[in-house]
Amino acid sequence: MTETNIIQLQGIEKRFGKFVAVSDLSLDLREGEFFSLLGPSGCGKTTALRMIAGFQEPTEGKVLIDGQDMEGMPANKRPTNMVFQSYAIFPHLNVGNNVAYGLRNRGISKSEIDTRVKEALEMVELGGLEARGANELSGGQRQRVALARALVMRPKVLLLDEPLSALDKKLREQMQFEMRHLQQSLGITFVMVTHDQYEAMTMSDRIGVMFDGRLVQVDTPQTLYAKPGSREVASFIGEMNFLPAEVTAETGDTFSISTPGFGAMKIEANPNVARHGRHISVGIRPEQLEIARHKPDGYDGTVQGVVRDVAFYGENVHYHVGVEGLDKPIAASVPNYFHTVDHAPGDKVWLGVQAASVIDLGEDKQTS
Amino acid sequence: MTRPSGLVMYAIFYLAFLYLPVLLLPLFSFNDGTIVAFPIKGWTLEWYRQLGGQDTLLQALVNSLFVGFVSAVMATSMGLFAARAYVRYRFRGQEASEALVMLPLVIPGIIVASSMLVLFISMGLKPSLTAVMLGHTFLALPFSVSIMKSAFDDFDVSLEEAAYDLGSGVVETFRRVTLPIVAPGIVSSLLVTFTVSFDEFVLAFFLSGNQPTLPVYIWSQIRFPAKLPNTLALGSLLLLASVLLLVVAEYFRRRSTKSTL
Amino acid sequence: MDDRPLSYPLEGTRAWGKSLAGLRSEKAKGLALSAPATVYVGFLVAAPLVILVAYSLWTQTYVSIDRTLTLANYREALTDPLVRHLMIRSILIAAAVTLATVALAYPIAYFIALKAQRKTLWLLLITIPFWSSYLLRVFAWKLILGFNGVMNSALLGVGLISDPLTFLLYNEFSVVLTLAHAWAPFAILPIYVSLQKIDPSLLEAANDLGSGKVQQFLRVTLPLTIPGIIAACLIIFIPTVGDYVTPSLVGGSDGKMIANLIQVQFGAANNWPLGATLSLLAMMSVGFVAILFVLSATGLGRRIR
Repeated sequence: MTETNIIQLQGIEKRFGKFVAVSDLSLDLREGEFFSLLGPSGCGKTTALRMIAGFQEPTEGKVLIDGQDMEGMPANKRPTNMVFQSYAIFPHLNVGNNVAYGLRNRGISKSEIDTRVKEALEMVELGGLEARGANELSGGQRQRVALARALVMRPKVLLLDEPLSALDKKLREQMQFEMRHLQQSLGITFVMVTHDQYEAMTMSDRIGVMFDGRLVQVDTPQTLYAKPGSREVASFIGEMNFLPAEVTAETGDTFSISTPGFGAMKIEANPNVARHGRHISVGIRPEQLEIARHKPDGYDGTVQGVVRDVAFYGENVHYHVGVEGLDKPIAASVPNYFHTVDHAPGDKVWLGVQAASVIDLGEDKQTS
Repeated sequence: MTRPSGLVMYAIFYLAFLYLPVLLLPLFSFNDGTIVAFPIKGWTLEWYRQLGGQDTLLQALVNSLFVGFVSAVMATSMGLFAARAYVRYRFRGQEASEALVMLPLVIPGIIVASSMLVLFISMGLKPSLTAVMLGHTFLALPFSVSIMKSAFDDFDVSLEEAAYDLGSGVVETFRRVTLPIVAPGIVSSLLVTFTVSFDEFVLAFFLSGNQPTLPVYIWSQIRFPAKLPNTLALGSLLLLASVLLLVVAEYFRRRSTKSTL
Repeated sequence: MDDRPLSYPLEGTRAWGKSLAGLRSEKAKGLALSAPATVYVGFLVAAPLVILVAYSLWTQTYVSIDRTLTLANYREALTDPLVRHLMIRSILIAAAVTLATVALAYPIAYFIALKAQRKTLWLLLITIPFWSSYLLRVFAWKLILGFNGVMNSALLGVGLISDPLTFLLYNEFSVVLTLAHAWAPFAILPIYVSLQKIDPSLLEAANDLGSGKVQQFLRVTLPLTIPGIIAACLIIFIPTVGDYVTPSLVGGSDGKMIANLIQVQFGAANNWPLGATLSLLAMMSVGFVAILFVLSATGLGRRIR
């Protein structure tokens, strides 16, 4: 493997007075990857990004970029550049001068600056807009100028602070693909901070999930979705039904469990989980459940219940099914293949699930 | 709306009330007579022409310009720094400091004037233009602070961070990003504080000694009915100057808030 | 979305720290940057106060100042009926001015904030006259209100009156009128700001809950603008008590106020100790009345249900 770690965070911690914004964060970022820090607001992800950028110095720990310790290195000397949440387009400069701003700090010849600005603007599909005033740009254009202004510096790492949060939904989705393509064609490491799980999943090679200043799991989007390491992560990414389960036997990587409703099943142990116990929590994604009027065949677990609510989303239909012995109804999602809604509130239905779709989420803190 | 409502009528009357004195002064300054009353006898520019030859008036004008300029620069530089501190940083005693610098707005003029006179005399500073300047800086400071505060309020912190991130040091960042963006605010503050000083009377009356500023000169002329037409002409010119300065200041202030949308 | 702390400290970046002479923390930078203004104003407020107090405890002998500490000035000021009369009149006139200005200004603020189409134009129109010299505006009123002045000559000219009106100038009326004019924007702007802040849905909610226009105004709009009204009152009342120019020019003998007496002490009478005493007493009375006013106004505001 030729993969090198472009950024190494070694046990970094940031305290503001008594408030711990980031605690004991260790993380290696590979060269050329698109990495996202995902978490709810206030979880410390932006503080972590700003420590990489050099706007904040860690209270403890080290930040290494390309093997070099960044301690005491101010933001203007670091090989990173940032796309700000507000984009921070200089209002007194036109597009061309905004993009050229950083290059002019480097004593580069005027002709080369012009060429590189032109290239950078073409790269973000704003070719020829050099003379456009900063206040004449749309939201999407501002985002592109901010990208071009940072990328023209040829940083080793591009840092993005909620880069799409100011855009409307359609534009946001379009920019997700564009930025992903740009990153892949440039091969530059991107580190993005976001609170939007879909944004993180569609764009990133790997995602780090943060809660309350702690980094709780780092994995590919698929692994995060399929094998979340805890109930917290599982509930933050996608939708999940949680069930309490009792472990009745354990053989190697397989647990025999019994759950209320679905009964006894054999499931795989989740390697991302830190602690197990006699009582564990298991999760089932709504789209992994079968829902039918009659008891379905060929499923490892089935249970009967009554439809409480039906929510029609267009691309799929969600049924909330009340099951005896469970406090909360179970959500089942069915793709809208035939433009029909098959069950109505009050209907008796069966739910079926394969053991492979039942995710082990580790020790159940609620019951044990 | 088909018919102007009572509120609109009231607003128009109120506006007339506000403009009555400031429009009458120029009107009668062109009156070819020495009594300020209707009917107007005829039109003349004589009163304006006579102003040119009065040396004490010209000296007072020079004094006022000088005091205004120095006070504007001093108040604006202190206001610039203070406003930046208030908007950007959180520190102990901030609220007290912010309240304190607004105090000159509400202290009765006579108290400011008498207490400064007493203070300056005790410190060995005789009534003079220097004393007036120090006093006017004090009076103008709240204006400067509030104008600069709104200039910095509209200023996104990430702009400086972006400059910094793109390789600029502190001085570069200030010169290439901060200054150009708050420049209209600075100009607006300079013009407003200059006008505050230029129009101020009570403090100058107490502190100017034998170097009158323009308002103090006007005060001395008001007592002489014979000088009335000249005073009207001079007053009209001052009104015009103040309004022009303020319109320009307003233009810059608008620009400073618009540019960072 | 944003998990930064309230302010954005840059203390980690060494260059910033170095450039401000080792001031690393934002606290230190904030203090350092605001220090010149704070110290300047603080000094020019505190130092004269100390000296005024000192002067008020000294006495004036014919040419020199007797520096033995005594309360004689206070005794003289408090027992002199003229001082008491002027002080009370100053406060009453200031109160009348405040009331008149705010009452006249409120509808305008209301109009601009809630009804006018071109708010900025109106605000500009209202403020422009006040950037001209205060002295000149007062002087203009003197010319307007005089016996042979603009108002009387115009009214005589159109035949509305047959003899010049004498109550226009040199009395409390002319002082109140002139000052109500002078302070107009100081009343309009704070009230405008507090009106502007009212969420229109609050008025709709009041309406929805059964309030008519009048009820809506009295129970929602007015209480929400009380902070603006208090600010306007203070910013008008306090300086008005110590106003010098207006009573001098349009007050006549019936319109004289405490500031005129103070000026005389520092000028013609050359009795600085008494002048200092009067200044301090004026300041104390203003402060006392202002505090009383704020307390009662906020109390009144809370009682509206």
